[in-house]
Amino acid sequence: MGLFLYHDGQETTYEQLINDINKQTLLKRYVKKSDPYEILKGIVVSLVAEERIVLLDSDFTEEEVKNLGLSVEELNEEVVLKKDKISSCDELLAKIQKSDNRWEIVLYTSGTTGRPKRVAHKLDSITRGTKVSEKYRENVWAFAYNPTHFAGLQVFFQAFYNQNPMIYIFDVNRKEVENVLRRYNVTHISATPTFYRSILPYIREVVPSVERATMGGEKYDKNLEAQLLKVFPNADVRNVYASTEAGSIFSAKGDIFSISPRIADKVRFAEDGELLIHKSLLGESDTFQLDEDWYRTGDIVEMIDESHFKFVSRKTEMINIGGYKVNPHEVEDEIKKIDGVVDVIVKARSNRITGNILVAEVKINDGIDKREKEKEITKILEKRLQSWKIPRIFTFVDNIELTRTGKKVRK
Amino acid sequence: MINNEEKLKGIINIILEKNGKGPIEQLNCNLSVRNDLGMDSLDLAELTVRIEDEFGVDIFEGGIVDTVQQILDKINKR
Repeated sequence: MGLFLYHDGQETTYEQLINDINKQTLLKRYVKKSDPYEILKGIVVSLVAEERIVLLDSDFTEEEVKNLGLSVEELNEEVVLKKDKISSCDELLAKIQKSDNRWEIVLYTSGTTGRPKRVAHKLDSITRGTKVSEKYRENVWAFAYNPTHFAGLQVFFQAFYNQNPMIYIFDVNRKEVENVLRRYNVTHISATPTFYRSILPYIREVVPSVERATMGGEKYDKNLEAQLLKVFPNADVRNVYASTEAGSIFSAKGDIFSISPRIADKVRFAEDGELLIHKSLLGESDTFQLDEDWYRTGDIVEMIDESHFKFVSRKTEMINIGGYKVNPHEVEDEIKKIDGVVDVIVKARSNRITGNILVAEVKINDGIDKREKEKEITKILEKRLQSWKIPRIFTFVDNIELTRTGKKVRK
Repeated sequence: MINNEEKLKGIINIILEKNGKGPIEQLNCNLSVRNDLGMDSLDLAELTVRIEDEFGVDIFEGGIVDTVQQILDKINKR
C-alpha cells in the first residue's frame, strides 16, 4: 500500500492509516485540530463507523465557537466505536462506499446573518464530483486547502477514493513547496488564486509533473493563469465554481463556465442574473433560504448561451479574502463591543494579493488616542476572530456615512 | 521632508509590529519582504494597500515583487 499523506517531513502510508483506524476505540465527534493527519483520520474513522462528524477550524477562537451555539461539553463528546477490523485499502473503500448513508459531515461556513451557518453533507453530496477509475490511480495530489473546508474535503475524497498520495502544502513553509512538488512528482493541484500567488515567488524552475492545476474560491485571474503555465508547462489550468452549500458544480477553462447536461435542469438564472441552484444539489442546513426549491447563490452571472455563463459580481455583502468569505457584520459586532467605540463600518479594499482585505472606519469617543486605540482593537480582535477576519487598516472618522434608509454605505 | 524610503520603512514597521516583531532601523534594499521580513499573504495585501494610499501606486500591478529595492523602484517610478 502506498503513501496516504505527506506533511511536514512525515510520511504516513495507507497501511499505517488502516492500523491506526483499527486501533481506535473512541471517536471525538468534534474535530478542532490543526494536524491534517488527525483531521483526515477522524473523517475516515467516522466513515467506517458511520457516525456523524463535525469539523471546526483549528483557529476558531472561544468567542467564535460560542457564537456557533456549541457548548464545551458538546465539543468533548466521544463516541464508542463499533466497527470491524479492516485488512486492506480496497476493503476500507468498499465498506465506505457501501454504507447506508447514516454518515454525515458538518461544516460551518460564514453565514449571511451574523452567525456562521451549519451545513451538513451526506456522502453522496460531498462525493458528487469525485471521479474514480484506473485512469486516476497514479495521480498524486497536492493538498492546498484547509482540510476542514469544503474544497479541502473534495480534494481529500478525490485522492482517497483513488488511493492517491496527498502532499500537504497548505500552511507550510512556502520555500519547501517546490521541493516537495518535485520530490513526489505531484500531478494534480487545486488551490485558491491567493495560495498560488503565495507560492509562485518560490518556484524557481518548472515542475513538469503537474498535469492539472485548478483554481477556485475566488475571482478568476487571467494573469495568474499565464504565470502558472510558466511553472507548470504541462498543466491544464482549470477554474472551478464551488461553494460550501453545494460543492464544486461548474468548471471553466478561462472565465467561461459550462453547465454540464447532467445538472442542466438544476441550474436557473433569476431575472436580475442571479445564479440559482436546485436544492437537490445542496447539503442540508436550516439556514439556507430557499426560494421555493431554489437556492439563491448571491452570484450575478451573464449568460453566454444556454449552457455557458460568466460571473459578473456578488449580490451579497460577504467579502472574499483569499478564498475565505467574511461577513462584515460579524466583524462589526465584535468591534462594537470594545470600550470607547461608538460605531463602525467594515469594508473591503481590493488588492492583487488576496483579492480583498478588510478595512474599518471607526467612530470613537472624543479624547482617545487613535493610534493606541487601533492597537488595542487589533489585540482584542486577535482573541475573538480568526486572523483573516481582522481589519488590517483602521481609519477614525467623525461620522459613519448612512444612506437615507439608515443603512450604512458599504462601498 | 520625509523621503520615500522613510515612509516605506514606517509602513513596513506598522506591519512588523502587528506580527510581534521589532521595527527595522535601517531599510536594507536587499531585504525580501517574504523571506527576511516573514510577511504572509495578508501582510503583503496590507502592505500593498498602505503603499497605494501613501504613494498612489499598485506595486503588484506588473507581477511579483519581493525585495525592498523592487518596491522602491515602483514607488520612485510613479
